[in-house]
Amino acid sequence: MISCRGLTKRFGEFAAVDGISLEVAPGTICACLGANGAGKSTTVRMLTGLLKPTSGEATVCGLDVSRDSLELRRQIGVLPEDLGLFEDLSVEEHLRLTADVYGVSDSHSGKRIEQLITGLRLEPARHTFAGRCSHGTRKKTALAMALLPNPKVLFLDEPFEAIDPVTSKTMRDLLVSAAARGVTVFLTSHILPVAEEIATRFVILREGRLVLNASRAELEGSLEQVYFDLAEPAGTVALDWLGHD
Amino acid sequence: MRAVLGVLRATYNALRREQQSRLKVPANNLYYAAVASIFMLDPTLAMFVATVVLIVLFFPLSADPLRLAPAFRLGLWPLSRGERGLVRAISPWLNPVTWLVAAFALWRRVSVGMAALVSGVFALGFLAPWRRAASRGGILRIAPRFPGALGSLVRKDLRGLLTTLDFYCALVPAVAAIAYRAAGLLPKEAFLWGTLLVLLALSTPAQTLFGLDGRAGLTRYRLLPMAGWKVLLAKDIAFLLAAVVLTAALVPAAGLAGALAALAFGRKTAIQENRTQLRWRLQAGASFGPALLQIAGTLGAASFEHARGPLVLIPCLALWAVSLWWGGRQLDAGQLA
Repeated sequence: MISCRGLTKRFGEFAAVDGISLEVAPGTICACLGANGAGKSTTVRMLTGLLKPTSGEATVCGLDVSRDSLELRRQIGVLPEDLGLFEDLSVEEHLRLTADVYGVSDSHSGKRIEQLITGLRLEPARHTFAGRCSHGTRKKTALAMALLPNPKVLFLDEPFEAIDPVTSKTMRDLLVSAAARGVTVFLTSHILPVAEEIATRFVILREGRLVLNASRAELEGSLEQVYFDLAEPAGTVALDWLGHD
Repeated sequence: MRAVLGVLRATYNALRREQQSRLKVPANNLYYAAVASIFMLDPTLAMFVATVVLIVLFFPLSADPLRLAPAFRLGLWPLSRGERGLVRAISPWLNPVTWLVAAFALWRRVSVGMAALVSGVFALGFLAPWRRAASRGGILRIAPRFPGALGSLVRKDLRGLLTTLDFYCALVPAVAAIAYRAAGLLPKEAFLWGTLLVLLALSTPAQTLFGLDGRAGLTRYRLLPMAGWKVLLAKDIAFLLAAVVLTAALVPAAGLAGALAALAFGRKTAIQENRTQLRWRLQAGASFGPALLQIAGTLGAASFEHARGPLVLIPCLALWAVSLWWGGRQLDAGQLA
C-alpha cells in the first residue's frame, strides 16, 4: 500500500531524509518515530505529494507520489504538521468544504459530519472560526477532515499530541478498527506508549536514516528501550539553581 | 514601579512595531496612485487618495495599546491592583494618536463639533469593539454560503478580503457614492471616477490572492484533490463579487471589466511573488513596473467599457480566462512561491 525505495530529500547539503526504503502492507498501523528533526515530517510530506523527493521513488495505493498527485490526493487522508486549516472558516465549515471537494454525497456527508463532530467532541467549537480555536480543537478538526472522505490510507503527523485523553482514546480505537477493515495508517508520534499500544509496525529514523523497520513481533524488548538505544540516548540536564534561593 | 515600567516598555515596543508595519504601505496601488498624481501635478487627486487611506488607517491606529499584551500574561504578572490601574491609565498615552487628538481638542480654531467628531472616531478605535467582533468572526459571518464544490472556498476568500484595509478603502468612495446618488448630488460624469477609485483600492489584493492563507492554508490547497485553476476560480469569484457590489451604485459593468483586468494583470505577481500578508493592513503587492501595468490595465479596461459598451467585456473575459488557465498550470506544477 505504501512503498518507497531510496527516498531522499536534501535541502542544499543537508539530507533531511537519506535513502529510506520500506513497504507498508494494507491494514497496517505503521508508527514512524524519531527525535525532533529526524526526518519524520519530511517523509510524510514526500509520501503525501506535498514535497518532491530529491531522489528515490515512492508509491501509495499504487500511485507515484510525484506523477499522480491529483489522484493520490483523492485516495488519502492527511493530518499535516501545520494542520492545514483556514483561519476564516469555522470547524463545521471545514468539514463541509472537505465533503464538497471530495465529492462525498449529501446523504453521507451530513451523517459523517455529525458523527465526527460528536465523536471528536467538537460540538462546543462547531461554529468557531479555526483561527480562534485552541490548538487541540484545531488538531481535532484537521483529523476529522482527514477521516471524512473515507480514505484508503491515512497519514497522520503527530495525531495524539495536544489532544485530550478521551479524544485520544477515541482516536486510538478508531484507527485500530479502521486498520482491521483494511485502512493503512502511517503516523508519526513522540508518545511511545500510544505508538506501542496501537501500531503493528515500527519505523525509527535517526538523522534522516532508517535505523529500525520492524513488525511488533520482531521488536526485541519494550519500544521505549529500543527507541533509546536506536533513536537518541536518554539524558538529563542539571539546573543547579532551580529550587535554591 | 519597576514592574509597571517593564510592562509599559514592552507594550510601547509592541505598539511601535505594529504601527511601523501598519504604515509600511509602499507597493500598494493606492500609494503608487497618490505618488503618481503628485508627479502629474494634480495635488487635489493626491490629497483625495491620501484622505481615503488615512480615514481607514485612523481607526486601527487609535486602538488600545494594551491589547497587544497577551491577556493571560497580564493576568499572571505579579502586579498589585494599584500598579495595574497605573498601567491602564498610562498605556493610552503610549499611542501618538492620543497626543494628536488631545492637541486637536485643545486647538482653539477647531469647532466643538469637529473636536467631538474626531474624539468620537478616536474613542471608537480605542475601544475597538468592531475589531474584537471582527476577530470573533462577527462581521465576517455576513459572507453567505455559496453552492457547489467551490462554495466554501469562495466564502472563505470573501471573508479574507473583508479583513484587508484595501476593501475598506474601496468601501469609503462606494458608500459616499451611494449617499450622494441617493441625495441626487452625484453628477453623471462622477460615476466613472468613483468606479475607478473603487477599482484602484481593490486592485492590490488581486496581486496578493494567497497572502492571507498562510503556510497552513497553502498546505491544505496542496492536499485538496482539486485542479489549480479551480482554487484560483474560487478566489476570483470572491474578488469579482466584491468589485461588482462596491461599484453597483456607480458603473457596475465598468467595475466588472476593470476587476477582470485587475485579476489578469495581477496573476503573475499573485503566484510568483506570493508574500505573507497581515490582516487589517493595506496589502503589499508588486514593485512599481508590474503595479503600473496592472493599474493601467484595470483603469483602461473600465474606462474603455464605459466609453464603448458591454462588448468590451468579451476581451476582458478572454484575458482573465487565459490568466486563469496559466495560473492553474503554475499551481499544478507547484510553482506557488
